[in-house]
Amino acid sequence: MRRTLLALAVAALLPAPALAQGDAAVRLDYVEETLPNGLKVIYHVDRSTPVAAVDIWYNVGSKHEQPGRTGFAHLFEHIMFKGSRNVPDGSHFGLLEDAGARAGADINGTTSFDRTNYFEQVPSNRLELALWLEADRMGTLLETLTPEKLDNQREVVKNERRQGVDNQPYGTWLERMLTHVFPAGHPYHHTVIGSMEDLTAASLDDVKNFFRTYYAPNNAVLVVAGDIDVEQAKQLVRKHFGDIPRGPAAPPLRSLDLPPHVGAPRREVVEDANAPAPAVYVGYRVPNARSDRADATSLLGSLLGSGRSSPLYESLVRRQQVATNVGAFNFGLVDGADLMVFFATGKPGASPDSLEAALLAELGRAGEAITEPALQRVKAGQRYSFVNNLQRTGGFGGRADMLAQAWTFHRDPNWVNTRLQALDRVTVPMLRALAAERLVENNRVTLVFVPRRAAAPPTNPGN
Amino acid sequence: MRASYLPTTLLASALALAAAPAAAQDREQPPAAGPLRPYVVPQVHDFRLANGVRVVVVPQPTLPIVSGRIILNAGAVYEPAEKNGLAALTGNLLDEGAQGITGPELAQRMEQLGAQFSTGAGQATAFASVSAVKGVFPDALELAARTVRAPTFPEAEFTRVRNESVAAHVQALASVEGLSSEAFWRAVFESSAPYARRSQGTRESLPRITRDDVLAWHRRMFAPGNATLLLVGAVTVDEARQWAERALGAWSGQAPQLSPVANPARAVQGTRVILVDRPGSVQSGVWVGQASLGAADPNFVPMQALSQVLGGGFKARINMNLRERHGWTYGAFTAFAPLDRAGVFAISSSVRTNATDSALVEMVGEYRRIAAEEVPAEELRNAVGNIVGSFPSSVQTVQSLAGRVEQILIYGLPLDYLATYRERLAGVTPQAVAALARAHLRPDALTIVVAGDLAAIEAPIRALNLGTVEVWDAAGNQVR
Repeated sequence: MRRTLLALAVAALLPAPALAQGDAAVRLDYVEETLPNGLKVIYHVDRSTPVAAVDIWYNVGSKHEQPGRTGFAHLFEHIMFKGSRNVPDGSHFGLLEDAGARAGADINGTTSFDRTNYFEQVPSNRLELALWLEADRMGTLLETLTPEKLDNQREVVKNERRQGVDNQPYGTWLERMLTHVFPAGHPYHHTVIGSMEDLTAASLDDVKNFFRTYYAPNNAVLVVAGDIDVEQAKQLVRKHFGDIPRGPAAPPLRSLDLPPHVGAPRREVVEDANAPAPAVYVGYRVPNARSDRADATSLLGSLLGSGRSSPLYESLVRRQQVATNVGAFNFGLVDGADLMVFFATGKPGASPDSLEAALLAELGRAGEAITEPALQRVKAGQRYSFVNNLQRTGGFGGRADMLAQAWTFHRDPNWVNTRLQALDRVTVPMLRALAAERLVENNRVTLVFVPRRAAAPPTNPGN
Repeated sequence: MRASYLPTTLLASALALAAAPAAAQDREQPPAAGPLRPYVVPQVHDFRLANGVRVVVVPQPTLPIVSGRIILNAGAVYEPAEKNGLAALTGNLLDEGAQGITGPELAQRMEQLGAQFSTGAGQATAFASVSAVKGVFPDALELAARTVRAPTFPEAEFTRVRNESVAAHVQALASVEGLSSEAFWRAVFESSAPYARRSQGTRESLPRITRDDVLAWHRRMFAPGNATLLLVGAVTVDEARQWAERALGAWSGQAPQLSPVANPARAVQGTRVILVDRPGSVQSGVWVGQASLGAADPNFVPMQALSQVLGGGFKARINMNLRERHGWTYGAFTAFAPLDRAGVFAISSSVRTNATDSALVEMVGEYRRIAAEEVPAEELRNAVGNIVGSFPSSVQTVQSLAGRVEQILIYGLPLDYLATYRERLAGVTPQAVAALARAHLRPDALTIVVAGDLAAIEAPIRALNLGTVEVWDAAGNQVR
């Protein structure tokens, strides 16, 4: 089915015409179908480069993990690269690399709180190779699973954790933040990377169970995009995915709903032997990415803390000079509540208390900072980002990812074609109301990182 | 603990697949390639404005987006050693105010346009880089050009940005990755070589730089005859001429006389091991390698093929060894950084602390193997095929294409370089790579840098007897 869009006028406050939703250059046309086994497939033609992108999103993320198995969805994602019935260990990447795809940028898998994806962008004459590889592991992963494969990737993932969390300045901020913003037992209470202890505990049975529960065609969306012929691509998809059996329906998640506020201000001081300067992270519970306030939420964070004309930068970096770096973002979590974070890195030797006071003071003045010109600036930035991301067929955040995200989270591929008009609808009063409701003390979690001169070595979980 | 699986579940799954024997058989082998659809490298146009500004244009009108870079031969290689960081500080200060506009106003205006804008400098060049939707791009470019032509370097912003640069170095040295890479470049080149220094300056050198130094540097180095405007994306040659005239046409000034800067490698007799302590570190940052050739060297292409085999991707030798075979790391790759007539070639990784010595043995072993043994023809063909085949993907965005063209401009390569690049790579033979490896790689005179928890790793590393062992502090002073 093809969709077209209503042309929509763009807010006229910009000095020159920016992008309008109706502009053909920024519209993604697509064809969608569902195979008898439940696999949702979306095709998108873009012949600007002779590449084809295959992108599968499985509707499973770290929020589906069982107690005591944090980090498992991501560990499982690593196992998906260790071969299947017709693909020897080590050759998934290898075959694609030989075909002309770059590991990392073109070929990868990623796990988030809400979903897991696998993608490959190849020269368009190798489309069938990419489909074959994805189908082989979707259909037959467990046939060649061995304890050695699990143990190897368990070690790799532990190193990923060391490199990204345990050995970096401020590396533990997110796992600390999540424990405060989401109550114990809530699926967003823990990080995607998980704990060393739980990674150690993961078993072969866990791998089998997880695969059979979540890695079925009826729990996934496959996007085929780029320099393709849709009819030919449909035939190839049927050939490779058509006889993979439908799996049992994935068990429903329990309700992830939460009250709008954390409940009381929380604050944790962290002595960090890796940190050479203080840093402060402030988190709030905010509306999730499926909420009708999702666009206002992301614009609010950008307005307050991203870019050099944001009030956080203006005040903390430029005027008071207590920070060398500030930022703001939200995660886009889709169930229950999302997390919005503001952070400031202090100058080496600076007082953590002053940094914290300055950041909180600025957040307390959020209402004054939300003005029409400021909102227009962040909207212009997001419009640019949208067209910028359209440049890539596959890879991180390219066209295929956008369509897969639209289906996985919104059950509507055309969601991608409503992004610009959704931005247009956000107003100053909406942002002010959101800030007044959410950026409040009883919804605030503050982490204060203080450099610790290495006396004793830091704890080294699971090593 | 979850319930374990009944074997019947496995059987059911296997039977379901066996029900389609023809299709299953058809799927045993990887599908063959269809006919390759051609990719035409975008054409590169080149002209000069009357004042000497060189304009290079690469039309790529797929989407209404343009990437522009104003590039000056004003990188760190030309700065005096005692003013290390001067070029970068000047570059970072460009956007802090320009004729008729303050830094905050400039930031607001760029954000209002939805433009991505940054300024800075590296070893070779200073730059102002701007990307925007086509409709607003000429306005964004004009602003970017003003920061290059007429920056004001306000006193207050100077002090602040210098402090931020010091803080950035302090933060870089807080990770084993930052500690080890800085020590490696310092160890590999003669102390007189700019490449031995950190292009962004250090916490020791930056405080010595004054605002007057920056003003003088800008006066000397920033001139139309020393500048190139690169435009890539939704732009025609005619539009490029108009936009360039408007942004840079009225600029005047005398270009500096610059002579090429030598970056001599340090003479190495035998392997040298340099350890940098980071107490409590749960991983070690490791570099194993040597000084190497530059981007314009005729051997660059075979060297790139060699780098690809050793550590250019996932299936490359060092990643398969350290990650997939041993599980000691999240990833291991070659760092092949060819700059102007010199660079480095190394294997680099972050490895688990208690596997550091074992990883070193494997890294040196892989280095020795590729230096001594001819790469099998198929392995080389695949490695080269990867670079050739992924080229269109690697330049799919206007920013990535601009990055590739910028390399051509910086290192004085011919403008048709990208058009002939894939062909030249595909012509690389195992014999040529083997000859290059024998002549160029020096597995018995390696520089090895390890940043990590010396209490845990020093004794095991010393026991390997890889070569002489030195212990450095973070600033590069030998302490033992």
